Amino acid sequence: MFTDYFYFLKDHEMDISLSEWLTLMEALDKGLARSGITEFYYLSRMILCKSENEFDKYDMLFNEYFKGIHMEPEDVSDQMKRWLDKSDFAQSAEQEMLKKLIDGEVNRIEETKEEVLEKFRERQKDQESEHNGGNQWIGTMGNSSFGNLGGHMGGVRIGGTTGYQSAFQVIGERKFRDFRNDRVLDNRQFQVALRKLRQFSTRLDVPKTELDINGTIDKTCNNGGCLQIVFDRPRKNTVKLLLLMDSGGTMIPYSNLLNELFQSVNKSNHFKDVKTYYFHNCIYARLYNSPECEFGDWIETEWIFKNLDRDYKVIIVGDAAMAPEELYSETGNYRGPNDGLSGYEWLKLMKRNFKRVLWLNPKMAPGNAPWREAETAVKGLFKMNRLTVDGLKDGMKYLMQTK
Amino acid sequence: MDINAGGFKSTATYVASNELMSAVNVARMLEKPLLIKGEPGTGKTMLANAIAESLGMKLIIWNIKSTTKAQDGLYVYDTIQRLYDGQFGEEGVDDISRYIKLGKLGEAFSADEQVVLLIDEIDKADLEFPNDLLWELDQMEFYIHETRETIKAKHRPIVIITSNAEKELPDAFLRRCIFHYIAFPDKELMSEIVRTHFDKLDDNLLEEALKAFYEIRELRDVKKKPSTSELIDWIRALQLGGIPTEKICSELPFIGTVVKKDEDLDAVIHKRGM
Repeated sequence: MFTDYFYFLKDHEMDISLSEWLTLMEALDKGLARSGITEFYYLSRMILCKSENEFDKYDMLFNEYFKGIHMEPEDVSDQMKRWLDKSDFAQSAEQEMLKKLIDGEVNRIEETKEEVLEKFRERQKDQESEHNGGNQWIGTMGNSSFGNLGGHMGGVRIGGTTGYQSAFQVIGERKFRDFRNDRVLDNRQFQVALRKLRQFSTRLDVPKTELDINGTIDKTCNNGGCLQIVFDRPRKNTVKLLLLMDSGGTMIPYSNLLNELFQSVNKSNHFKDVKTYYFHNCIYARLYNSPECEFGDWIETEWIFKNLDRDYKVIIVGDAAMAPEELYSETGNYRGPNDGLSGYEWLKLMKRNFKRVLWLNPKMAPGNAPWREAETAVKGLFKMNRLTVDGLKDGMKYLMQTK
Repeated sequence: MDINAGGFKSTATYVASNELMSAVNVARMLEKPLLIKGEPGTGKTMLANAIAESLGMKLIIWNIKSTTKAQDGLYVYDTIQRLYDGQFGEEGVDDISRYIKLGKLGEAFSADEQVVLLIDEIDKADLEFPNDLLWELDQMEFYIHETRETIKAKHRPIVIITSNAEKELPDAFLRRCIFHYIAFPDKELMSEIVRTHFDKLDDNLLEEALKAFYEIRELRDVKKKPSTSELIDWIRALQLGGIPTEKICSELPFIGTVVKKDEDLDAVIHKRGM
């Protein structure tokens, strides 16, 4: 068995357990991938990868380990190129290589490759001598050139079926790159902190599914001892969250941290509603839908005031590192309109329109730093905490207090 | 050997890619549950239907909700009914087995022939839910304490599990599954899928609709990406409305069937400068 591959994957931080490997072995024993590398690729991926996030990584590793199986036959005669049907030859060659590799007859692809090439040369020799006789073998050949084979040993249809993409073709496309998330950040702590944002209510409009014990006892007694069951609505969290994130240039060093926070909020599905918008340095007349803060891709800040009720818990994440004119000037915003109000006035509106606003700052200065005027001013308006697990925990407490 | 020979195949109404077909057949042969993930509307739930149809088996669906417990799938002991019956002196109150009701998993195990069991949207349930089913799915049996009876599968059901990736599933559970991710179909596959839903369909109409549809999907601002079922509704509306094909891309008639959120609609209109 080619346990090499198992350790190769493990060494490259694929999280594969022995039981999964054994499942793959069982699948190979049952002959589920005898017809070629492409089938083996899909088979191993469906058994070893349990998330589309891992596909890209797996593809890269697979490619690295098996790329030797691509062949560049250098000594092919031109005639041969015309005669030889790549699919016929490639398929048998590839099957053979894979079989040897899996059965542990050889450990490295180079060994098999040598053998296969040897066989190929022999065959080529035979061909040349038999060619004039109109051998049936040649007759079956397609007209695709053997030279093409190099790039895609895997580019072969399997078992006469169509529709499979070749393994290496798939890998080449790197379709799953966007899914990759190998920044393994443990945002569990953030999530735990966010769990504190809870406010239970039974007033929500959900089916009555919970047994109300007191009600049941009352009713049953009233009913002369004949059982009468009473159900009640389960308690649900009613907290709604508005998350506003600064994506200005000075925030770039903290993008990982912000990502972590954002993911934690998204994973915490115990909120009744979560809305996320972005701003650039300070909040003005528009809030953006995406962190890129593209011109035009925005909503009116007024819209938020009109449509989100005062109970939304607001978390603003930003470094509050603005030039004084960005905060105080009525035209100090180069990204979009101010609508006649300075950033400071907009922030005051935020404060007036929501009951609880928390500002999380990744690089907060201790105390009131006179050299950071804007930060001090913002601190005067909102409760500001450092963006750390502790700061978040403390902030959650603040958000849950009612006036 | 072609592993798909004699196994699951696309049906008249369900077009499966080759990858998907072999995933189903591998899972069958290895007797492991098949975990299916993918965007909403890529036909995860429909797949089980198609498998059952293609293999001529009965389909048992266990829909998971946020309140579902693993126990619900095995059996429920209806104590309340027994209490009621006890109060009115019904016959057979002594016989506990009368009050044991098998859940969907129990039903699949006790079926007389092999069935397809769909555990739909497993990620809706509690975080620990999948772990509670490990033994039952591995061994295909469970024990009823009240009657001291073991329910063992007569024929291992083909287990299909779907997930929308709302929650991460536990590792121990994942290790036991075969995994397949249904990617959103490309234009070519999509037109094949759409065709299975219509008896008669104008080629130009389909092409224009697909063009507009993929354009909308590619807009980054559209939060809820339209899926297959919305496309099919739209094409049906276009067909019934007798819209000239050249107007589809430029005017996007009946676009409300494709884009359903106000903000997404705004985004589409905005981006297209309409």
